[in-house]
Amino acid sequence: MNIRDRVASLLRPDQVAHAHCDIPCGIYHPHIAQQGAESVERMCVLIGELGSPSDAAGHATLSRYVAEKEKAAELVKHEVRILWGDYFKPPHLEMFPDLHTKVWTIMKLAGAARGSVSIDDAKALRAAVDEFADMFWKSKE
Amino acid sequence: MAFRPFVAALLIVLAAIATVRALRARYYRVEVAGDSMRPALHPGDFLILRRGAPSSGQIEAGSIVSLHDATGRLLLKRVIGLPGESLRVGSTVLINRRRILEPYARGETPQAQFRGANQLADDEYFLIGDNREASTDSRDFGAVRRDRIEGLALFRYWPPARLGRLAIPARALGAEPSEPELPLGMIGPRTS
Repeated sequence: MNIRDRVASLLRPDQVAHAHCDIPCGIYHPHIAQQGAESVERMCVLIGELGSPSDAAGHATLSRYVAEKEKAAELVKHEVRILWGDYFKPPHLEMFPDLHTKVWTIMKLAGAARGSVSIDDAKALRAAVDEFADMFWKSKE
Repeated sequence: MAFRPFVAALLIVLAAIATVRALRARYYRVEVAGDSMRPALHPGDFLILRRGAPSSGQIEAGSIVSLHDATGRLLLKRVIGLPGESLRVGSTVLINRRRILEPYARGETPQAQFRGANQLADDEYFLIGDNREASTDSRDFGAVRRDRIEGLALFRYWPPARLGRLAIPARALGAEPSEPELPLGMIGPRTS
């Protein structure tokens, strides 16, 4: 412990006052949505590779892939809704007049991806989420 | 007389003890935790606060005050709205319909923390953290009654490089609005 630390420990108050934030306010990032969209696509690929399972183990694996795909698609919708509702503000809408349409498209594509195993649908979702992420980063420039 | 120095020393010790007790009754020290008051306060700053709920008129806009939240934590926030004022929180803060100019604030209020008009009662204060994008404050838990305010931050004594009085910034308001305020429910003039 150096001298500065020793002095600080002698002077340290016995009470802490919190300049706090209960939730991670203001910390926004499109990465989770993008990861979710990538997971949807990956699960569609794995489901395609698995084919039609003939035994219980195969059925269990298929179930896990489907469940994971649905969870990831829902995660995409959740994360995009947060960015859309909490982060983006009216001035951003002037920069990106198609923001609402883009979000609406993502909701539709994510919904379709939940009920589908089409890799093309998953790719479309991923592309739309990537465009949305680009909007986010451009808004920070 | 040999006992005279002893009595003098005893009196000095008693006086010192009485002084320390009097000071501790009036002031207390805290260590800052968290980032919501950046850049004014940093985590690890040691502060001296004046203890007790202040009387009317003793809390100026811009003061940093302490209060306990519902979970028992001691919080530090800046006084933005004073009793009787009308305050509206969007990406900026309006006081009586005039934008408050806040050189101490960083960032903008996230949309989730926007609040409409808040008419503060005669004993209510509106407290906001300086780091507008990372603070839980009156935007979340509402205005705070005077008797909940427990201390007024006066002085930072650690770290040595930032030692000094915590100055209260003078309040500055933007220009008077030229348009009359719209009645409730009306979002703007019809343009077509």
